[in-house]
Amino acid sequence: MAAQLTLQAPQEVPPSEVSPYLDRLWQGALEGSTGAATFTLLVWEPSWLEQQMVRTGLVEGPIRGLDRDDVMAAARQAVSDCGLPFSTAPCDPRLAWALGQRPGDRHAVDLRGQFVESAISVHRPRRLITLAPTIDAGRPLETMVAAYCPLPEEGGAGDACGDAVVLRGGIGALQQNLHLIQPLVGTELPCWVWWNSSLDEPHDMLEALAPIPRRLVIDTSLGEPRRCLEVMVERIRAGQAVNDLNWLRLRSWRESLAMVFDPPSRRDALAHVVQLDIDVEGDHPVKGLLLAAWIADRLGWHLVASSAIPPEPGGGYGGIAAEFERGDGACVRFRLMTVPVGVPKQHPGAIVGLRLICEPLSRPALCVILCSESGGCMRLESGGMASMELAEELVPLPEENEEMEMARLLAGGHDSTNPLLAAAAPLAAELLPD
Amino acid sequence: MTSLLTNPLRVGLRQERVITPQCIVIFGASGDLTHRKLVPALFELFRQRRLPSEFAVLGCARRPWSDEEFRSRMAASLAAEIADHPGAWEQFSQGLYYEPVDLQQSDHLVRLAGRLEVIDRHRATRGNRTFYLSVAPEFYGSGCRALAAAGLLSDPERSRVVIEKPFGRDYGSAQTLNKVVQACAKESQVYRIDHYLGKETVQNILVMRFANTIFEPIWNRNYISNVQITAAETVGVEDRAGYYESSGALRDMVQNHLTQILALTAMEPPGRFDAEAIRNEKAKVLQAARLADEQEPWRCCVRGQYGPGGSASRPLPGYREEPGVNPTSTTETYVAMKLFIDNWRWQGVPFYLRSGKRLPKRISEVVLTFREAPVHLFDAAGGAPTPNQLILRIQPDEGAEIKFEVKAPGSGMRSRPVDMAFSYDDSFGEPSDEGYVRLLADAMLGDPTLYTRSDEVEAAWRLYTPLLELIEEAPWQLPVQPYEARTWGPAAADNLLAEDGLIWRRP
Repeated sequence: MAAQLTLQAPQEVPPSEVSPYLDRLWQGALEGSTGAATFTLLVWEPSWLEQQMVRTGLVEGPIRGLDRDDVMAAARQAVSDCGLPFSTAPCDPRLAWALGQRPGDRHAVDLRGQFVESAISVHRPRRLITLAPTIDAGRPLETMVAAYCPLPEEGGAGDACGDAVVLRGGIGALQQNLHLIQPLVGTELPCWVWWNSSLDEPHDMLEALAPIPRRLVIDTSLGEPRRCLEVMVERIRAGQAVNDLNWLRLRSWRESLAMVFDPPSRRDALAHVVQLDIDVEGDHPVKGLLLAAWIADRLGWHLVASSAIPPEPGGGYGGIAAEFERGDGACVRFRLMTVPVGVPKQHPGAIVGLRLICEPLSRPALCVILCSESGGCMRLESGGMASMELAEELVPLPEENEEMEMARLLAGGHDSTNPLLAAAAPLAAELLPD
Repeated sequence: MTSLLTNPLRVGLRQERVITPQCIVIFGASGDLTHRKLVPALFELFRQRRLPSEFAVLGCARRPWSDEEFRSRMAASLAAEIADHPGAWEQFSQGLYYEPVDLQQSDHLVRLAGRLEVIDRHRATRGNRTFYLSVAPEFYGSGCRALAAAGLLSDPERSRVVIEKPFGRDYGSAQTLNKVVQACAKESQVYRIDHYLGKETVQNILVMRFANTIFEPIWNRNYISNVQITAAETVGVEDRAGYYESSGALRDMVQNHLTQILALTAMEPPGRFDAEAIRNEKAKVLQAARLADEQEPWRCCVRGQYGPGGSASRPLPGYREEPGVNPTSTTETYVAMKLFIDNWRWQGVPFYLRSGKRLPKRISEVVLTFREAPVHLFDAAGGAPTPNQLILRIQPDEGAEIKFEVKAPGSGMRSRPVDMAFSYDDSFGEPSDEGYVRLLADAMLGDPTLYTRSDEVEAAWRLYTPLLELIEEAPWQLPVQPYEARTWGPAAADNLLAEDGLIWRRP
């Protein structure tokens, strides 16, 4: 879907004038439009990678803050140029940091917050607030305001149905002006906070932007794994509605595994799983752990112990080994291996493959292998399964970008954490060895 | 579908939209549909986490019930479900309210509007309202007028109205009702329900056709010789005699359910999957459909009425002996007919529709029979090769089946027909939602894809107008022919196909 521009050119107004300006906008120019009674979307949108790539001349501006194919292509190239391992995903925050060490002083127009992905705008956010920190930490705050509306062919009506507010400046300026946010968010409508960045970033900004009951959207593929899982678990425990894009990207894996066991004739095998193996790209295990935790939770396994598998000399990143106890007391062995890949997916820690071995009492063992459609999973296909019934499936890659994932969440509209995620997240954190 | 052991990995995987905060107002809340279908469907949506916390149900009827009495009556109807999910009911029932309302009394509507504002404040439902007219059909028009007069339909973004079937009694009354309804609300606010469209397998007709490349190229007059659509029931009129006497099988089943299945089976591919694109194509194909002989409709249609039958140990009464039925009734309990669709895709392909009560099996299906192979190269076990058939089973044993010829084992080259079958139970093993769950959710989400638009309804009535006029003006030309209960209808229905050298599929 094409991104849309706001209805009018964004109006730059002094920070203190933002709320009065919006009041005038709705009471004056947009009089007669009731506006959408939907939700507020507050986005932390640093786009560090895009900013650094523009600064170093690797891509042209303007900076938009949306997923861009040219930024991803240039980022893949920059991984090797920066001396990072080939398995480094383009969205890995370490790439933006590495680019930040390189010289460059190019500038481009910054349009963050002024493009609205139509997949999002079709849900008619009443207010879209974008916080756009600049890599120039000392830059003063600029605030811009505009009305926007979904295109008629996307289901929108002719009336303006929302407004967009952009707060742009250095981190310091944004922190000093956080008091502007609460009046803009209001209390009448639900508010979603999309932390569209690494969870390694300063804790205080996340705390300030996403108090309960605002609904939080994070991406646990971005940031140090333990920190990612801790943030998610803490927030879920505190009763916040937490949504994780990394968890959402597991959808096709969970669906594919469920499909294998949809035929009732295979169901009983689920009670006799003896081994689970998951391979993930690079060195970020969170997605694989969430997948394992979901399976364990759904099948009623109890975690007995987990430990780190050291890297093999000369290659690989090592992994995690764990032991679960099934409901009948039998043991399930689990291994998550982080494997090097030549062309990693966009986000760190994408799943390469999954193997589940079941040993039902009255029939041959069943080996389920799910393999990412973009690569092989020979490691999982090898090793003594000749006598087993084999169910092997390719898992399709989702073709959705960040904004479309986000739109899917907004469409869902849940005001509580998905119970499956709420159950899987703490278990995934337990699986991660100290 | 049969409920089997749940796949634990399947639980919670469906990513479905949560309904926006709103209040659903059910008129006819003391009626059968409310406690048998509507409130159970809403409770199911609640259990599936598809209702937001800002949600309320306001039951309205003339009886002077209180909120508590409404809740306890609904609880009694849902006793089995509540026993399994007592906590969920506790939460859900807090959003159940009741207001005594007579839609014909304007002061009642004023009181209703006030009550809705109070509920908006207490439940934060933000003025979003779905009005469900589960009342007698003669009150659809006046009900809409009353809602409009009270200003309850004035915001097209926040209010919508769901109207149960039947929508009119014939083409003229449907047109009149459409005019009344459209004077009260925009078409986008009006949801005309046909619960058959809520069935998973009816929707699967669209997916089978348009998500696969193997069917659509042969889905036309070049490859298909005829189409049969059957909706058979084993039950008799039961306790619906009052309604059924004035409707009969043609109005009760064919004009709505079977015609919707016909439209989904015969429509052109929509450009995209949205409500208007799909409903445009359905309306177009219904506008191109006609009775095989509009001048002499008795030549392409058979009406029947079940007589006594069953076995000596379990005798079944005939229709005229059923409680509440006129002993000299000429209402049809069975109807079969032949249609054509005058467009490039279907010119010359007969569509045979049949529906009846007290037939031997409860079954709904679509059978597409393909043309014979142009040359018979092989001996066939049955004398001649059996034509290929694609059977879409709507209920029960939901699924699909393809019949084709294979080489029979052994020396020689004899062919014999075999089946390749897909069954929802074998492949998914999960019970699907009751149709009202899907349809109520769609209405509250503002998605009218599975609801019928005004032009569709009118086209469906216009299609049967020659038949309805004949029954009205010269019923002796199309008399109801008796058939024994638990048989496949009158012999004349078989003759209808025999004239074309065909037979009804015996499911």
